[in-house]
Amino acid sequence: MTSEMQIDNYLTALRIHLGPLTIAEREEIIREISAHIRDSAEEPGVSVESVLARLGPAQRLAAQYRDGLLIRRASRSISPLLLLRATLRLATKSVSWIFVLFCSVFGYLSGAGFVVIALAKTIAPAHDGVWVQDGQLVSAGAFIYGVPPMAHEVLGMWIIPLGLTAGSLTLLLTTYLIRSSLRISQRVQARL
Amino acid sequence: MAKSRALPADGDGPDRWEAQLRKGAVEMAALASLWQGRLYGLEIIRFLESRSQLDLAEGTIYPILNRLKAEGQLTSEWVEAEAGHPRKYYALTDAGRLRLRLMAEAWTSFSSGLSRLLEPVLRPADEDLSAGTPVLEEKEIAR
Repeated sequence: MTSEMQIDNYLTALRIHLGPLTIAEREEIIREISAHIRDSAEEPGVSVESVLARLGPAQRLAAQYRDGLLIRRASRSISPLLLLRATLRLATKSVSWIFVLFCSVFGYLSGAGFVVIALAKTIAPAHDGVWVQDGQLVSAGAFIYGVPPMAHEVLGMWIIPLGLTAGSLTLLLTTYLIRSSLRISQRVQARL
Repeated sequence: MAKSRALPADGDGPDRWEAQLRKGAVEMAALASLWQGRLYGLEIIRFLESRSQLDLAEGTIYPILNRLKAEGQLTSEWVEAEAGHPRKYYALTDAGRLRLRLMAEAWTSFSSGLSRLLEPVLRPADEDLSAGTPVLEEKEIAR
């Protein structure tokens, strides 16, 4: 394989793995890395192979750009999908992010749960609520099959505003937790 | 027990620690290389190799420059060169300059504090013994 072909193969692989970036961003990176390879290989006694080896596999180089972009986008976003993707990516790199991931999943699930319970009241009022028997909480939530027989329901329609408020607060808090963790990690992040 | 755990368990312990330390300093080093004026990627790499002992995997510096630019600490422009292809030159923005100053101050006070702490560790062994002697003598006098 000639050096030109090696360079072309490397840049093609890099372009493929830089997929999620915009075309302009991608082409600028390709142009810069291409200039780096050509400049380095011009130095006496340096082969294209050794230049490419020092750059590392195209896939790994692209991953570093993609991670940077993902974290930057997520730290400005409120999309749970984007925030969870960034958290998941960072959790593969550090233990503290596994903890953040755990809290985020828990936060999103319980937030969504509160909202579902609130909405369920409008669809099947008899199956949704908080049941108390002899002053003790028996069960709470939305039930597909039967409700606790001896207990009586205490919240009534109040479960709708309460559920929606608790749900949105939990979701907001979770979003805030992930975003501030991402901001902090951007400050300390030379690790990626 | 605690003491034996604090010692490196295997030969590559300190090396890995050193690698982490170097990695953490790359961002500041990249900003510092641009203090005097604009440079392109390969110049930054060569500058860091010659001025510091930061032996970079070359693939790491470009994504870092990309991120610093996205954060507004660097600007970049393409400049036509004699080599036949243009090169992407980076320069510090005002925000980058300020950030680097703050980083440099934090780094300097941190490292001078640690140097004082490590001074006895790095003192040659015989000097350390002689430094210990007066204490022994005092004890003997007390006896």
